[in-house]
Amino acid sequence: MDHYTNYQSFAAALVGFNQFARTEGFNNGISCSKDAMLTALSGIWLEQPFFEHALASLFCKTEEEREKFSPLYRQFWLEKGTRIKSRSTYNNKKNIHRASQNTLVMAGLGKSKEEGVLDEGKNTSGANAKDTLKSTDFSKLTAVQSELLDELAERLVREMSLRIKRKRKRTNAGQINIGRSIRKNLQRGGNIIELFREAKQREKFRLLVLLDVSGSMDKYSYYLLKFLWSLRMHFKQIEVFTFSTKLRRITDQLDDKDIQTAFFSVSRVADHWSSGTKIGECLREFNEQYHKRYLNGSTLTLILSDGLDTGEPEILDTAIQKISMKSKRLIWLNPLKGMTGYEPIQRGMQVVLPQLNHFGAAHNLNSLLELENILIHA
Amino acid sequence: MFSHPKELIPKIDEIGYVIEEDIATVLFLMLKLEKPLLLEGSPGVGKTQIAYILSQLLGYDLVRLQCYEGLDVNNAIYEWNYQKQLLAIKIHEQSGKSARDKEAHIFGEEYLLKRPLLQAIDTDTRKILLIDEIDRADEEFEAFLLELLSDFQISIPELGTVKAKEKPLVVLTSNRTRELSDALKRRCLYHWVDFPSEEKEMRILKKHLPDIELSLSQQIAAYVKKMRQLKLDKSPGIAETIDWAKGIMLMKDLDDPLYVTLSCLLKSERDIQLVKQEIF
Repeated sequence: MDHYTNYQSFAAALVGFNQFARTEGFNNGISCSKDAMLTALSGIWLEQPFFEHALASLFCKTEEEREKFSPLYRQFWLEKGTRIKSRSTYNNKKNIHRASQNTLVMAGLGKSKEEGVLDEGKNTSGANAKDTLKSTDFSKLTAVQSELLDELAERLVREMSLRIKRKRKRTNAGQINIGRSIRKNLQRGGNIIELFREAKQREKFRLLVLLDVSGSMDKYSYYLLKFLWSLRMHFKQIEVFTFSTKLRRITDQLDDKDIQTAFFSVSRVADHWSSGTKIGECLREFNEQYHKRYLNGSTLTLILSDGLDTGEPEILDTAIQKISMKSKRLIWLNPLKGMTGYEPIQRGMQVVLPQLNHFGAAHNLNSLLELENILIHA
Repeated sequence: MFSHPKELIPKIDEIGYVIEEDIATVLFLMLKLEKPLLLEGSPGVGKTQIAYILSQLLGYDLVRLQCYEGLDVNNAIYEWNYQKQLLAIKIHEQSGKSARDKEAHIFGEEYLLKRPLLQAIDTDTRKILLIDEIDRADEEFEAFLLELLSDFQISIPELGTVKAKEKPLVVLTSNRTRELSDALKRRCLYHWVDFPSEEKEMRILKKHLPDIELSLSQQIAAYVKKMRQLKLDKSPGIAETIDWAKGIMLMKDLDDPLYVTLSCLLKSERDIQLVKQEIF
């Protein structure tokens, strides 16, 4: 085991600690060892807790690294012969609240799951617990992981929304408009004393989401709805519809700041949850009833569905063509796309693929967070 | 100046602030290594205040650059005084000077408008440079900062490179609404600022409100701690806690001063309702 007593000099131990930290995932250069040496020379060599705080400020670059640092420090500089077990906040089951009865149906949590499937979530590769959660397939999350993912998703969506709002501002804001500057300064004999700058403007942003809640989407629709609820909290220009054999508008129901209340309202409206799939007919209904209100040149349309349509392909073809024509961009995210070996060969997917601007996965948090790039550049 | 982090704690206490060993060590290191300090944490934990504490402690002037989306070189580093340059051209039209001389004249320091970053560098006295909420600025601006943070110099095409006569002490803060680049982080010491413990919050209250009763400060700190565990739209920061304590002390003759003064602490109706429901 790596310990400072294994090194011949203090300088060597510092370099050794740097290497040890690197093997544990810290990304530190040589200058870190140099700064650590200078720190030690400043008079706080091995003086607890100052030396630990000092090294932490040099080695850590995030809150998560800081949490991970103390056990490493103790292992290397203090305790000989004892291996420090890494502390993971993600094993804490104390704060887990069960979903209410209303949402259990949507979550499909009451249904039996195979043990092997449950274990897969734990085995998903990732640098730490958060990365693991972000990349775990929604259908393989345990109830405990599900709660933890909610918290993580809420934070990440909040950060994502902030970034999108900032990025979507016009990049040429504040630039000089030569023509208007000349006109503005005509009264000064043509001498351009004052410059006219472009005002900052926000582009209008509208997102239309159509979420498939049919039986085949059971494992995903609950998480996707949670994600949409978080999005709705930060973007008011979002319209959300659910569809299976019927189409329902649930935007107003999602507009509650408490997720349980919001889902309770949704469960009262979405009486078609877990039923069959008539994508084409539902999209046709959307076109007939809502498209004039919610689709215009600036709308980004996002369809979250596995594409397992049981209706007539011609109906789906006509409906999707109309939506594609009226949208700025049409994006289809399919949870099945995250599965190895998946090919979009289903009838429904074959019909819609030519109309799409983007076809991606929606099986875990990471794939949903990729929406950020799509929204920024839309 | 200071030979041990311990020495900073009483000095900072004297000027009216409460700090603990971790932040004292980081400030000590910042002074020793002359490296910029990056402070990350939730809004309201007192990150910005740390720069002001340093300024008061060391007696250096503080130059603050508040970051925002779209912040550019013109607003952060320098800008040419265009109107003054134009007037100078008019004045020198008949002077007989060559075009090159005129150009050299109007691109002299006299026509330079120094913005915070240049102000912090191009000076004979040492400054504290606070780059506040760097996560709000664009990634491109972060790249501009790299030269400043590693070499303490700024390149101005018309004038050349301006190197710091006295290296400023740089404090950057971030609410972590986005991840900062590795290049920027590598150049800085890092410290995550968390909400204070109950005990520390009580000490802060005592420092700001010497007349506060111990039981009241205990009660306030305990309530605020509970509130921070709720999913509020805006968790109460230290400043709000102090405001709440002030409000309670002013309204102490009322029946339930803690309850009626909640608006000093919480900034949305939903948060107030949630706290009333869950805590009171």
